[in-house]
Amino acid sequence: MTELQAGEGAQVLKVPRIDARAQRYRDVLIALVAFIVLALLPMVFGSKQLLDFVVRCAAYGLFATSLNLLVGYTGMISFGHGMFFGLGAYGFGLMMQKTGVPIPVAFAATLAITFLVAAVIGAICVRLKEIYFAFVTLAFQMLIHSTILSWQSLTGGDQGLRGGIPRPPFLGIDLSRPMHLYIASCALLVIGLLLMRQIAQSPFGYTLRMIRDNPTRASFIGIDVWRAKLVIFVLAALFASTGGMIMALFVSGAYPEFAYWTISGEGIFINMLGGVTTFLGPMVGTALLLLLNDTVTRLTEYHGIVLGIVILFFAIGLRKGLMDFIVEWFVQRREGANG
Amino acid sequence: MESTRKPGVSRRATLALMGAGAATLAAPWVASAQAKTIKIGMPTILSGRVAQLGTSSRNAVLLEVEKVNAAGGLAGRQIEMVIRDSKGQPQEAARIARELVNTDGCEMLLDGEASSGSFAVHEVARDLGVLCIHTCSEASSLTADPKQHIPNAFRCVRQGIHDSIVGASYAASIAKAKGLKKWATCSPDYAYGRDTTGEFVLYLKKFAPDVEVISESWPKLFQPDYTDVITKILQAKPQALYSCLWGGDLTSYIDQANIYAMFTQMEVFAVNMADYTALTVVKNLPKGIHSGDRYIKTFPPTPENAAWGDAYKAKYSEYPTNWSWQNATAVMFLNEAVKKANSTDGKKVAEALTGLTIKCPFGADGTVTMRADDHTLVGYAIGWGTTIPKEPYVLDMKAGDWKTIFELEAEWKKSKGYT
Repeated sequence: MTELQAGEGAQVLKVPRIDARAQRYRDVLIALVAFIVLALLPMVFGSKQLLDFVVRCAAYGLFATSLNLLVGYTGMISFGHGMFFGLGAYGFGLMMQKTGVPIPVAFAATLAITFLVAAVIGAICVRLKEIYFAFVTLAFQMLIHSTILSWQSLTGGDQGLRGGIPRPPFLGIDLSRPMHLYIASCALLVIGLLLMRQIAQSPFGYTLRMIRDNPTRASFIGIDVWRAKLVIFVLAALFASTGGMIMALFVSGAYPEFAYWTISGEGIFINMLGGVTTFLGPMVGTALLLLLNDTVTRLTEYHGIVLGIVILFFAIGLRKGLMDFIVEWFVQRREGANG
Repeated sequence: MESTRKPGVSRRATLALMGAGAATLAAPWVASAQAKTIKIGMPTILSGRVAQLGTSSRNAVLLEVEKVNAAGGLAGRQIEMVIRDSKGQPQEAARIARELVNTDGCEMLLDGEASSGSFAVHEVARDLGVLCIHTCSEASSLTADPKQHIPNAFRCVRQGIHDSIVGASYAASIAKAKGLKKWATCSPDYAYGRDTTGEFVLYLKKFAPDVEVISESWPKLFQPDYTDVITKILQAKPQALYSCLWGGDLTSYIDQANIYAMFTQMEVFAVNMADYTALTVVKNLPKGIHSGDRYIKTFPPTPENAAWGDAYKAKYSEYPTNWSWQNATAVMFLNEAVKKANSTDGKKVAEALTGLTIKCPFGADGTVTMRADDHTLVGYAIGWGTTIPKEPYVLDMKAGDWKTIFELEAEWKKSKGYT
């Protein structure tokens, strides 16, 4: 790349000056309001299905949003992100079944394990570019999936972790009660999203966008691209793992399907559906996909056709995710109003 | 260039969307009141590779439910089945099972899931305390392992360990008669394949101690090409081959092995052959493959079984599967248990089911029993025979001996630390 070309790219990177602290306070405030609204929902509707829906939204939402940190913010298309979802579910489930430690300890230990595994896998993968990165992450995912299938004595093979995951009460929280699980999932979701939002809005987050747009330039101005990519790879893995733990608590088990490539595929699809240019895009995508899935499977067994048409509509019709579309529509309207 | 995107816009849009979403979500979620009809929920696999089995489960259930409803229903309440597709994903199976109970008001569950899905539904039954009958999962540990045991769950399915004992005893008698000493195995590389093959070989050696296994192959599940496996087996020159491949894998394997004339070179024992889904799909079904019964209307050789198979075929224009008879039996059990308990209350029905023996066209002696100590189905027709390329496809069925099965099963449970 010539100096001239590199210079052209620089124009796009003009970041509006925002008072970082004020924005952070506002994010925290929004998170608090969101949590309170979520916590009050069951009182208004009193439907057990709503609780299940939000718990699943929390699991998939954390997973999909963390994937967006890689895909949307850093431009790393990971096809193997589901491995950390599975790792979280299995790590947590096994810890609870085999050791009987309190839930917060198992939670922290699972995050520690995910950290180590993601650091090793990340160190190998993040050096690779685009398609190679995608395929090697997919390969690692299949490696973990195969390990789960064949390490029967530990994981139960294709039948998964059986016998239920014990959920002993801690600090007055009893996760075997649906309401407690619901509140805990909402809390994890809101905290997770808030943390990821902070990562995305921090200088580090802007570094990631720069790497996405022009890695050569980023490295020329002194950014250690490899290290930045590795850090975000590991951080994203931690949030995906948290999603996996919520799922393990929801189904009271862990199954090899959680680490299969289809989960990664769903993550990518959620991102396509919701949009990758806004922070909440994947969250909207999650709610949309789960809602579609739940309604369509109730109505017809030909859900594949319906979901396929929806994908086509977004891919060919809108050519972007729902949130991208809405945001652009608002901007256009505002510009129109301003003349 | 002015930045046009202000953060506030996206948030406002989000909030509006969330509000709209919440309103949409809430609408259908008003808990339904208990009606006079009794709803029974059934998550099963209606899409993907085993969809045919899931569909055949649904068919059988609807066939039986029709009869029960015509006779007045369960304790005077007409049955309404709510059947949904889990796509074979355990998390979906768990979600649907919860939805069926919590939202649709189903008072009982028939769990038409295989493998991991059945364990996921089992956990839902544990959490919600709803009466649940597993109708498709053959994994022995589902009921044999005391950790799995809950008072409200039952299994109305044949079991891997029963098949292995009967298969090995049949194979040993053939091995002794024909002097088959060198054996090869070829089974899918996952828990079911490994466990079932391991148990078969264990009991085969117990019944015929001079047998040795000279070659093992573990093709991947859903592998399309078996050439390497077939040539490996042919090179080892065994006198007999055991396989627990099933469904599409088994039929592809046989079609490909036919090209190498494998079936003229050794005796083949394929436990999952005698199922119409496999028998009718193979291009040239070789004569003389030994197989366990999955479902065939000629075994047990009773008019009741033949009539049931014909009635199913008349209604759905295809033969029933192994999953069909199991699901039909589950409905028969529910019907009898409700009569015995004179109530549709889950707890009372569960008590009535425990140890219940009912008349059933699929019983070895015309009856089947829901064994009290581990809530699992016993006494069903189980046997082995040899194939011919046209109807009735399998001849000379030799019935397994339930006394031997019980003895060896008890030993097996002990060896696994289950008792």
